[in-house]
Amino acid sequence: MITLWHYLAVAAALFGIGLVGFLTRRNMITMFLCAEMMFQGVAINFAAFGRYHGNLQGQAFVLFIIAVAACEAGIALALFLTLYRRGRSLDASDWQALREAGVPPVIDTEPLPTEVTVPDDLLAPAGVRPKTAPTEEPANV
Amino acid sequence: MNPSSLTPTQLAAGQIALAAVLAVAGFALLVPRPRGRRVAAGVASLLAAVAVFAAWVYKTFGDPMPDLIGTALFYLFSGSALLFGTVLVTQANPGRGAIAFAFVILSTCGLFLLLAAPFLMAATVIIYAGAIIVTFLFVLMLSHAGGPSDENNRSREPLLGSLAGFAFTGLILFTLYVSDAGLKPVAAGEAPKPAQRLPAQVLTPDERAALLSAVEKLDAVETQLPGDGPVADRGAVRDHFDAVRDQIGAVVGSDARSRDGSLPARLEKVPTQPGGKVAPLRGDQQAARVLKRAAEVRRLNETAHDAVSSHLLDGKPDRPTVKAQLHKLRDEVVLLAGSGDLPARNVSNLGYLLYTDHLLAVELAGTLLLVATIGAIAIAQRKGAAA
Repeated sequence: MITLWHYLAVAAALFGIGLVGFLTRRNMITMFLCAEMMFQGVAINFAAFGRYHGNLQGQAFVLFIIAVAACEAGIALALFLTLYRRGRSLDASDWQALREAGVPPVIDTEPLPTEVTVPDDLLAPAGVRPKTAPTEEPANV
Repeated sequence: MNPSSLTPTQLAAGQIALAAVLAVAGFALLVPRPRGRRVAAGVASLLAAVAVFAAWVYKTFGDPMPDLIGTALFYLFSGSALLFGTVLVTQANPGRGAIAFAFVILSTCGLFLLLAAPFLMAATVIIYAGAIIVTFLFVLMLSHAGGPSDENNRSREPLLGSLAGFAFTGLILFTLYVSDAGLKPVAAGEAPKPAQRLPAQVLTPDERAALLSAVEKLDAVETQLPGDGPVADRGAVRDHFDAVRDQIGAVVGSDARSRDGSLPARLEKVPTQPGGKVAPLRGDQQAARVLKRAAEVRRLNETAHDAVSSHLLDGKPDRPTVKAQLHKLRDEVVLLAGSGDLPARNVSNLGYLLYTDHLLAVELAGTLLLVATIGAIAIAQRKGAAA
């Protein structure tokens, strides 16, 4: 028998996973999706309580949550666009200059893995890889 | 320390804490980092967390067999929501994360359907279909093509972040466990309290079972009073319908004044002085509706029983009338037994509620959306660009 408790537990777990993602990830789009996932957890809470009490107030509240989430999405994506134009990156840690006074900066010490370019095995060993010519003038038609 | 000396609450706390710690380890190992994450160890740790948690749920809530399809659908939707949520958090590529988020939304919509909220299901699918496409657009526009990058392949405090999230979740689960009266350990000889089933029940399971078994007996009216002609064994037929009347009467009561039924006795306060007003003990509309229906069932129960008795005494051939009364009683008892559940077809009621009780809030939400639209345009506008 599925009880109210089951729905509340799923909602709490969804909220918790979203919280982990929001705290640990640095890509602003992923952080935004994690925040949306936290909204979903709360919405499940409201719908479950609405069913538990046998009325529709919970569902009405979820509709308002969806409206607020839509507002948040619009503003957040506009902010991402502005921040991207300034910093050319979606990394939220690029803006750590805004941190509180006295907090040491976070410096990434580990180097990023470098991509190894694999030689093209479709090309015969004797063949010469054709040069891409960036200097070529585009034809003015 | 001897495990058997622990109280159930301590055991529950230990099991939830163990599951939370395993989940923290799993997420800390799985979130992206430059040196490469440990997928095998992380997945193993998460599976161990799920196993510990599932064992606790099974031990606490027992056999989930009674409502097999509903239970299976619930675990399917909630499991996939949590699984794809985990994928969203641990996936380095934001495009794949958006796909995982789409599955989280679909699973949540399944849970909404199980919660008798079809309009929310449709609204969520429609709104998030657009939102996810816009997210894809942003990923394509703004992400660097190929190659590891700071924002995708590094995480901010993986261990502390996971710890914060799962400490929160574990504490909420434990609080729910402690505050749920139906789950408290029961001393020997004491009747166990019912768990908080969905929805909050006006009728107890015993009352519902008694009503449904009375319905089965009323369904047998064709074999008890077949076609026309004299009744073969009047004594047996009388006993049968007497049992039906007593069974229904035990729930709804046989006399409105004395409140002898279990339902009115539980839900209504007996007036202290004769002629005093009956006060309901539960103020919600659900209980009020059930009481109204119970009064109707009580009335029909008496009239139907009287009709059967007089028919058996007189033997007049008005059997279709008696049968019609019994059928009506049966339908009302079925409605009473099923009352208290939120019907799935409630979309029009939701609209009615929004435009009557919450009209001001609807206006405010619309204004908020308008302001957010203007704000988004104002924020994203290029400085100095042509307006």
